[in-house]
Amino acid sequence: MTDPNLRIRGLSKSFGGVKALDGVDLTVPAGQVHALLGHNGAGKSTLIKCLGGAFPPDAGTIEVGGSSHTRLSPRESIAAGVAIIFQTLSVVDSLTVAENIFLGQEWTRYGTVHRRAQEEVAAGLLERVAATCSPRDRVGDLPMGQRQLVEIAKALSRSASVLVLDEPTAALSGAESAALAERVEDLRTQGLAIVYVTHLLAEVERLADAVTVLRDGRVAHHSTVAGHTRRELVDAIVGRPEPVAHGTAAGRTTGGAEEPGGADELGRTDEHGAADDVVEGITRAPRLTVHGFRGPGFGPVEISVAEGEIVGLYGLIGSGRTRILETLFGSRRASGGSVRVGERAVTAAKPSDALAAGIALVPADRRRQGLFPVLSAQDNALLPSIRPLARRGVRALAAERRVFDALSQAVGLRPARPRLSAAAFSGGNQQKLVLGRWINQARRVEVLLLDEPTQGVDVGARQEIYQVVSSLASQRGTAVLFASSDPEEVVALAQRCLIVSRGRITGELRGAELTEAALLSAVHEADDTGPATSAPATSAPATSAPATSAPTTSAPMTSEGAA
Amino acid sequence: MTTATTAPAGRLTPSPRALAGGGLNALRRHPLLLVLALMVLVFQLTTGSFLDPGNLRGIATDAATLAIVAVPLALLVISGYLDLSVGSTLALGGLVAGWLAGQQHQSPAVAVLGALAVGAAVGAVNGILCCYFGLSAFIVTLGMLTAVRGLAQQLFPLPLSSFGSGFAWLGGSRIAGIDAPVFIAALVLVAGALFLALAPSGRHVFAIGVNREAAYLSGINIRRTPYALFVVTGVAAALAGAIKASVLDSVVAGTSGAGFELTVLTAVLLGGVALTGGSGSILGVLLGVLFLGCLQNGLTLLSVPTFWQQMAQGTALVAGAALAYFGPRLTR
Repeated sequence: MTDPNLRIRGLSKSFGGVKALDGVDLTVPAGQVHALLGHNGAGKSTLIKCLGGAFPPDAGTIEVGGSSHTRLSPRESIAAGVAIIFQTLSVVDSLTVAENIFLGQEWTRYGTVHRRAQEEVAAGLLERVAATCSPRDRVGDLPMGQRQLVEIAKALSRSASVLVLDEPTAALSGAESAALAERVEDLRTQGLAIVYVTHLLAEVERLADAVTVLRDGRVAHHSTVAGHTRRELVDAIVGRPEPVAHGTAAGRTTGGAEEPGGADELGRTDEHGAADDVVEGITRAPRLTVHGFRGPGFGPVEISVAEGEIVGLYGLIGSGRTRILETLFGSRRASGGSVRVGERAVTAAKPSDALAAGIALVPADRRRQGLFPVLSAQDNALLPSIRPLARRGVRALAAERRVFDALSQAVGLRPARPRLSAAAFSGGNQQKLVLGRWINQARRVEVLLLDEPTQGVDVGARQEIYQVVSSLASQRGTAVLFASSDPEEVVALAQRCLIVSRGRITGELRGAELTEAALLSAVHEADDTGPATSAPATSAPATSAPATSAPTTSAPMTSEGAA
Repeated sequence: MTTATTAPAGRLTPSPRALAGGGLNALRRHPLLLVLALMVLVFQLTTGSFLDPGNLRGIATDAATLAIVAVPLALLVISGYLDLSVGSTLALGGLVAGWLAGQQHQSPAVAVLGALAVGAAVGAVNGILCCYFGLSAFIVTLGMLTAVRGLAQQLFPLPLSSFGSGFAWLGGSRIAGIDAPVFIAALVLVAGALFLALAPSGRHVFAIGVNREAAYLSGINIRRTPYALFVVTGVAAALAGAIKASVLDSVVAGTSGAGFELTVLTAVLLGGVALTGGSGSILGVLLGVLFLGCLQNGLTLLSVPTFWQQMAQGTALVAGAALAYFGPRLTR
């Protein structure tokens, strides 16, 4: 057999002048689990995709299975023994387990698929990964964890020597995650070289033999697992030993990530009232009150957003932050709890109910859920306002134009051309159009929900969008609740941030404690699978006391980013 | 491909220069206009009688029934749906109107209203199944095409004829110097254009066709408007059937309106309405209808056999699609 060893040397890859990977080295010997850490955009995905043959690297070599390559095609990558299990699995739901394992390499006899032989071999492979499903089960009927094992079995059937797992537990329940960890340990003893991409430090501690942290396309930290502390890893991920605090905190920042302390540390921060806007926020009337709210894969959660307040929901993909927003907006069905806008109780069974109550949502997937690409900019921004503006069932064209012009000025739309089709605008300006749908003069929105408000938006437009949202809150008193997976964005936009993990709110950060480092360590450490040892001050108090102690719901969580 | 989506908005009193620019724009958006003009020229030169008032009147009357159904069908296609059952609905509408007027000796108004009610019923069935139950419009209306034809033949196994002079008014009289069917078609065209330009639901039709999910998340009722369009399309098909029955003074259940659904769809698609939904205009539909009407008439004048005419019609559709696909790439 070939030498099951992966050695990457000096790998670089640029996209239009931006260095996604800059001279990255990574060596994984046989029988080792190597954890790959790094924040969104650090280069983890690019590294995996170069390895899988999706991108040709600009420079560097990939040695795998005993041969060295400067670039790989997907086919060569598989032939060399690399198997990548992506977060969004590539199994075919309508086929059986055996058919999936042998997809593209079917065993044939007399020109037809030799089903029985395939199923026998598949059974052996499933046993190797300790999967409980049968080779004849339809993959679509299996829970997430089993589907993942099917994909790993498929990799084994192709005699993979290097296995890459991309955030494998993001879509799994607690029990499934624990089972997967055992499988990974088995596979290590079977001699595979495993690259394990994760956000969770607990998993690193349990599984990894070595760790590499990527930041801005470079190796920011490398060590064997015993040779570091959690703090070092978090600092390597964030890349700033002295994180910039939110707001104009007078004097030194309290409760920062580098300051380990007890729970009293937090009390002190509140007392200090370092960020004055938050103190005001507390006295302001609550605009959105969510109590005991439950839905598919999350809850119960308690959320309160005051008039003119901007609150962030920060968590990993699959943590439930998108589902909370979608359920508040009525595009998913709530299973319990109450929602109030001001004094009024709201039950939103569909988006139009939520809109009637003054709750609007700007969805994360702009292409699929927000934009009407071939329609004009004006139609995109005013679509729900056309009927309210109309008089006696006839559109008020002059008023529509007036509202559009005011809006395009307020959000800084470029170009400010009402008739240009939305597809012709940049991502940032498209986002302004979708956002403008709810913040124009013709609408009265009490609560604005934003899901990944600047996804696919360039840096300049990002700042403009933050300004628009901030002035909306401060001038019109709109309560803003946004979900984000970008700590930089949370720090820039939020006055207060709730940490979401596995469908629960596990912490809260406000004022001076709201830093990128604090956010990262809060989610990296908030996990059921690992023991929450030595929780530092920054992991914050649990706002809803039962949230952390109550057992996890059995509902399997699926990856929601794309769903 | 934004055609009508942008055209009517904005200034209400355009300057002459804007009008000229608009004319050029219209030509760029509707290359069919140029093709139509060329075709008329060729037919006039080869036949010498194509532009005679009598012939033009014949073309207009033939095109009228096509236009009456093409307008609501175009709106339905823009909103992302489809109705293949219009040929059979047309037959059933004509039969019901003829039966009421001829055999039940009802007044022409009752006869027409009866036909419209039947058309509305067929449209409502299509609409409920497609919009509220979410079944595929292609499958539902394909099924209805066969089912309604079967119903028509079961109810009216024998040809109907002699509907009386009162009923003949619908197809033969003149309103303000224009043949009644042409007058009705003009009303339908104007109503369709006004709906798209000035009714709030007109915008919703485009939005639903472009991105149903985004429209739903914008709080738009994504079921009601397409449902209403299915009903209106059924009504329009039945009205066209009543007009045809009145003009011909006879209806045969087995053959009336056979293949009509494909002709109407051809006109709609030639007129630049995208089958994927979200774009199209009433001006385009008018051009598509006129193009088919002129083509058929000119070729008949030239004594081209029917089968060749069918080939020409089919070729025109494919050529039009190819032009729409390759045209923008060539000019860029």
